[in-house]
Amino acid sequence: MKRIRPSRWSGQLLQARCGAGIAATRQPLFLAVRCQSTSPAATANDSPDLDSQRPPLPAPSFDRAAQSAKLAALHARLSLPRKIPLQTLARALVTPSADANPNFNNSNLAYLGSTIINYHVYEYLVCKWPRLPMAILYEALRAYAGDASLQQIARRWGVESAAAPGEEVDPGLLQWKAGDEQMVNTRWGYIRAEAAKGQAWRRGLSSRVVLDDDFGDQVSSSEPEKLEYSGLQSEAFGSVVRAVIGAIYTHCGREEVKSFVKSHILSRELDPSKLFEFKLPTRELAMLCAREGFEAPVARLESETGRLSRTPVYVVGIYSGKEKLGEGAGPSLDVARRKASMESLKAWYLYSPGNKVRVPSDMMEEGARPWTAPHIDIGEII
Amino acid sequence: MDLRTLFVRPASQLLTPLRLLASSKAIAAPLPLIPSRGHKTTSRTKRALKIAPHDSFLPSRTSSAAAAAADSIIYNPPSSEATPEHTPFIFLPRNDPRRQAILRLRSSGNDPTTYNSSVTAESDLPPEMRYKRRQPKYNLTKEHIEEMRRLRAEDPLAWSVQKLARKFECSTVFVQMAAPAPAEHLQWLKAKMEKKMERWGPKRTQAREDRKTRAEMLYRGEL
Repeated sequence: MKRIRPSRWSGQLLQARCGAGIAATRQPLFLAVRCQSTSPAATANDSPDLDSQRPPLPAPSFDRAAQSAKLAALHARLSLPRKIPLQTLARALVTPSADANPNFNNSNLAYLGSTIINYHVYEYLVCKWPRLPMAILYEALRAYAGDASLQQIARRWGVESAAAPGEEVDPGLLQWKAGDEQMVNTRWGYIRAEAAKGQAWRRGLSSRVVLDDDFGDQVSSSEPEKLEYSGLQSEAFGSVVRAVIGAIYTHCGREEVKSFVKSHILSRELDPSKLFEFKLPTRELAMLCAREGFEAPVARLESETGRLSRTPVYVVGIYSGKEKLGEGAGPSLDVARRKASMESLKAWYLYSPGNKVRVPSDMMEEGARPWTAPHIDIGEII
Repeated sequence: MDLRTLFVRPASQLLTPLRLLASSKAIAAPLPLIPSRGHKTTSRTKRALKIAPHDSFLPSRTSSAAAAAADSIIYNPPSSEATPEHTPFIFLPRNDPRRQAILRLRSSGNDPTTYNSSVTAESDLPPEMRYKRRQPKYNLTKEHIEEMRRLRAEDPLAWSVQKLARKFECSTVFVQMAAPAPAEHLQWLKAKMEKKMERWGPKRTQAREDRKTRAEMLYRGEL
């Protein structure tokens, strides 16, 4: 298949056609005449009496994007390529809560961006830690690409929110308000048939992979759950990062967006060993050893101090035959043994082929070395 | 109280005045029962506290040349907890290059991970801990289980889980699975437990809650 190279396209293809962004469905009059492109053709049917009665726009007009110092500064700070116009960056800052019209807000760009981010984070996680259980994988994705993390990234970029969205606001500010009508559509999944049965209904992990969204969260049906103020805020800030990445993909293509995701999202540090929560670690380890054909794990007391004191310390090692699996220290023999088995399990789950893993999207580069299959694990311990 | 402290105090402490008396009389007194930390003068204290550094801090003595010893690397990391980032040998997949490397090291004989080495004998390993673990015997037949169920249904109070486990030489979990008590007996047990819990004061309730929280924290790796 021939590659599509947006970077080699001429300027004509990259410029917005007049009226191209207007949806096919019939819009109300004031929306239909709201042409925010700089081309003069749009102003042909603009009568002065309509203009005087025109209600204020919900978000700043794109005409003013070129004059905004904040937008230019953000563009320069992120060292975005020149191909991305300031108008697109301005659109990335308009959330659906400010302007519900999808032709003028960032929801489409944010959805595109979220798919790109999640793809790159997932392929990295799966290649780097091939044995991570699914629940941990979901949480690791959330740690990299969840709303809270993306909000941190947006704030580090210097994105600030306007006190209230409106036409007169600087287009370099995030247009966002905490309201009831949130029309953010950056999640994709199936609405479950059993969703009506409430939260008590058990959702298995395998069904999450198929039915739910990228983070393993249930896609709510007609009744969306009410988010707190902070939740709405992080969603709005997160949509900025997603929309900027969507814009980079739209204007510059795959390689650019990959390096941008790598330097802004995957460069953040995550310690996956903090994400684990065990229930019966000793039993899980015994089952692992039985499954893999190792000898049954045995706890051995490696060293101890202060057995008769108030604060004893025991160091326990878990051995399978003569091979040591893990080691843990604790204030009692039982605690130390459990910690040691948790360490052994973590050592199993956190196996990594190395720090410089190759991911499938590396093969898209020109002159890439031939692909060697990564380690694929047979699955979790049940 | 006084009497108790007298008993608890180690006998060697009682000898201290004697030791002081003895040392004041003659320098060549026998070794004191408790080594004293203080010395008479500052210089003596300093001299006593001057301890030679551990061997691992010194440059390696195997290299004969003094010049080579001058710029040797001292490797003496502080003791630290084992990290899960270090994958044990048997957890490495077959095609991992580290597996081949360790195997090569082991076959050549100079293995740095001595505890891993296949030549270590069972006696070289640390002592095994004693704890309750699953030891399947598979000694029960269908008739045994029917008998167990009959006894349990007949008199669940007399034939408790513990008693049945002891009689049939199996685990209590197995008894609970194979011969569950009748519903009314379970209800009675639950009511009994609730009655007991009602009598708990605030301290005991709090302590039990704390214990639960501690267990959860342990499993999350926060302790």
